[in-house]
Amino acid sequence: MKTQILVPLVLCGLLTLVVGGCTTVTVDHVKHLPTELKEGESVVVIGRRSGSNYETEPELVSCIGSVLTQGENALNVIPEQTFVDSLYPWFEARTAPTQIQGLQHLLSYNQIGKVFDEYNVHYIIWVDGNTEKTRSSGSISCGISGAGAACFGFGTWDKTAEYEASIWDYQNKKLIGKVSSVADGTSYMPAIVVPIPLIASVQKDACKGMAQQLIHFFKTSK
Amino acid sequence: MKRVNRNLGRLPKTLLSIFFAGCITLPMTGCKSTLQVQGNFPSPLVNQLPLTMGVKYNPQFREFNYVEKNEKRDDWEIGIGSAQMALFDTVLPAMFKQVIAINEIPPSEGDNIDLYFEPTLEEFQYNMPRETKINMYEVWIKYNMKVYDKHGQLIADWILTAYGKTPSAFMKSEESALNEALVVALRDAGAGLALRFAHVPEINSWLEQYK
Repeated sequence: MKTQILVPLVLCGLLTLVVGGCTTVTVDHVKHLPTELKEGESVVVIGRRSGSNYETEPELVSCIGSVLTQGENALNVIPEQTFVDSLYPWFEARTAPTQIQGLQHLLSYNQIGKVFDEYNVHYIIWVDGNTEKTRSSGSISCGISGAGAACFGFGTWDKTAEYEASIWDYQNKKLIGKVSSVADGTSYMPAIVVPIPLIASVQKDACKGMAQQLIHFFKTSK
Repeated sequence: MKRVNRNLGRLPKTLLSIFFAGCITLPMTGCKSTLQVQGNFPSPLVNQLPLTMGVKYNPQFREFNYVEKNEKRDDWEIGIGSAQMALFDTVLPAMFKQVIAINEIPPSEGDNIDLYFEPTLEEFQYNMPRETKINMYEVWIKYNMKVYDKHGQLIADWILTAYGKTPSAFMKSEESALNEALVVALRDAGAGLALRFAHVPEINSWLEQYK
């Protein structure tokens, strides 16, 4: 009995791990000015939260920050929450500067400049966008009887993750470029007795694409 | 011995049936959800006013508890009182040289208090993702702020609105998502209070005279 239950579950788990949904990622960047990150300087990755019907997900922002701190060209990244808390209430959803001129205005207030200097911030990366379901179809029905429970059917859905990062040079008070990452993916869920989710990791792939492009952005001087 | 084995063999099947039955039954029943809002609020980075402020928190404010009465909505009981007290106890001391909690305006005993402040929560609203077309938990809070001079005369009376939202996420409970939206809204209230207090026209002119 134990083996009868375990075998399909293990197989489903393995299948889910090996076969995921399909995702395509498109990344692009435009650079107006050269970049230079000196030893000890930091970048901060912050999500834009001023959109009325969407919000840049905190997990996407922390994912980008985490990828930027890894590998050969690792950057020193200040965690979003630490930075926003240190500068409360100036970087909240409704108070954060939307233009570089707004940042200049904020810096006329000495205490804000001090926090930036403490963190040795050189670049601020503003990430704007979200991941949303664009289409779904199919149906899965489940039933229960004395013999047990079972599901049957097929479901599929598409998701699009669209993000744009604006990179501000804090020290020169200029917008130096933009990086975009768009990921489209389709997930499937066939159900024969047990539902087997084959999930396309759209947001994760958009994050990786964005982070790798940002590393390239800072690695190349022009 | 045989009978014991057979019963054990049935157990996973029975458990599975109960689990599935539970999964299906739970969303259909009208269980009450309760939430005690919890969050940490940072001290605001603002210029401190050289004033002693007496603050009066009404019991309704300290223990504000929202109970959903709309029969078309799910039953929710949301305790905001302690979280908003934590917010005001963090924000006000950063705004003023000294903050003293009082029970009456003006207090019966003579104190060197320059201004009195009395916040009231007037309205609280929330939206769940299934109620709107967007995958977002949203919260609105409307405060009425009153400031009195040292003689207990009303100087300023204004409305402060706060908004917070948080996207729904896989494996995130409704309680946790709503808590996040509420913390964002409370932070927004703190930001509005800290940044706009001195710009409220009546307070601004009082401050000009005080100088």
